[in-house]
Parts: sequence; structure tokens; C-alpha cells
Amino acid sequence: MKFFPLLLLALCAGTALASSAQRGEIFYRSQHGGDWSCASCHTDNPMTVGSHAVTKKTIQPIAPAANPERFTRPEKVEKWFKRNCNDVLKRACTPQEKADFLAYLLTFK
Amino acid sequence: MKHILLTFALLTATAALADNYHYGPFPAHYVEECGSCHVAYPPQLLTSTGWQKVMAQLNKHYGVDASLDAKPRAAIADFLQRLASNRDKHAPTEATARMTNTTWFAHEHWKSSPAKTSFADCATCHTDAGKGDYSERSLKRPAGKRHRDD
Repeated sequence: MKFFPLLLLALCAGTALASSAQRGEIFYRSQHGGDWSCASCHTDNPMTVGSHAVTKKTIQPIAPAANPERFTRPEKVEKWFKRNCNDVLKRACTPQEKADFLAYLLTFK
Repeated sequence: MKHILLTFALLTATAALADNYHYGPFPAHYVEECGSCHVAYPPQLLTSTGWQKVMAQLNKHYGVDASLDAKPRAAIADFLQRLASNRDKHAPTEATARMTNTTWFAHEHWKSSPAKTSFADCATCHTDAGKGDYSERSLKRPAGKRHRDD
């Protein structure tokens, strides 16, 4: 199970360009023309505990290195990509964006 | 069968304790789907009509996308309807059916939430809200705050 995020990354990247952690970091920090970025709730450091931008509820770290539960259930991963991409980008994320996002999160050890 | 019995036991326990501001515990699927961005709110504190309004606009859920796939959505809707309140004070007062806009909520809370807090995060003051416990025993008001504004 430990390697699931890597497997997911490989699947996401399968048909697209190679993933880029650097692009993923820019994606993570960008507001994409709206009010929020990923960092708005998950903080500037994906290894730390965040809080929901609206409700203030605690959010456990998004980086698998700090929170091994992350990216271990495909249906949960897709549910949250769907919701949060709509919240931040006002559209669905592309496979490339998801691959870059995961590549960035996996740089944390 | 085991699952049905467990659900029944939970519903019975929930009904029995609700009068004492203990509304939970709630089934795991409800906490998973409705307890990530905020604590899983007690279904007993909004009417059936209110929950229908909330569930009908999950993709625009108070500024965020909280959409669910059809199957979990149906299970949640069913659970909410079974425990929904039938009292007027828990009825929605506007189209989005915010629980915080019901007459009951306004009566029991301050006009606005204290600085850097949100009424959406019950657990700030109701320290065991995550378990559905809103009793006085687990209530921790911010320093200097009384029950209401009056």
C-alpha cells in the first residue's frame, strides 16, 4: 500500500507527458484566477496540518510522507480531485495536472 | 443483516439520547461523506425539507463543491430523512437551508461567531461535536462569552 501513490502517479502519467514536481508546485501555489489555491486549505507546506478556508476545520497533511492514508483509495482520490479542482480552478483537472500535483507531493520524504 | 442491525441499533440509540443534546454517534459512511470539511452535523437539527434543499445543491454547497456519486448520495439522503426534525424551529428560513439560519440556531448562539472562528466548525466550542455530543458538559465557551448576546 505504501507504493500506491507512485502507482497512481504512473497511471496518471501513462498517456501524458512525464510528470513534473516543479510544475506541480507552481500548480499547488497558484490561485488559477480565482480566490483559492491548494495551499489555501492545505497550507504552504504540504507536510503540515491545514484548516478549511471556510469552516476552519482541521485538515490532516496532504503529503503521503506526513499522512500515509493519503492517496490510498482511488474512489476517494477521484472524489476530492473532482470537488477541489472545481473549487480552485472552476473546472476538472487534467491527467497532466494530477500527475504533476502528485509528483510534487511525493518529493516530500 | 449485521449491517442493518447495526444501523438500527445506532438509530435507536441516537433517538434515545437526542433529548440530552447527544445526537450521535453517527454511521461511518455519514461521517466520511459529511464530516470532512466540517463535523458531521446532527441530522436531528434540520427538517426533512431542509435536508432535501441541502442535498439538492451539493455541487454548490455554500461556496464549495461537495458533490457525491449517486449511490453514496442516496444512502446519505435516506439517513438524513430518517432522523430529520419535524419541529418548526429546525425548518429552513431561506433557499440554501443553512442550519445556522434556523430560528433554533439563532436563539441558541451569538449573532456572529467570535473572531477567527466559524459557526460551521461546531467543535471550536462543542468540544465533542465530532461524536454528536453537544451537551453542556463538553461545552467550552470562549473567555468572557456568555450563552447569548442578550
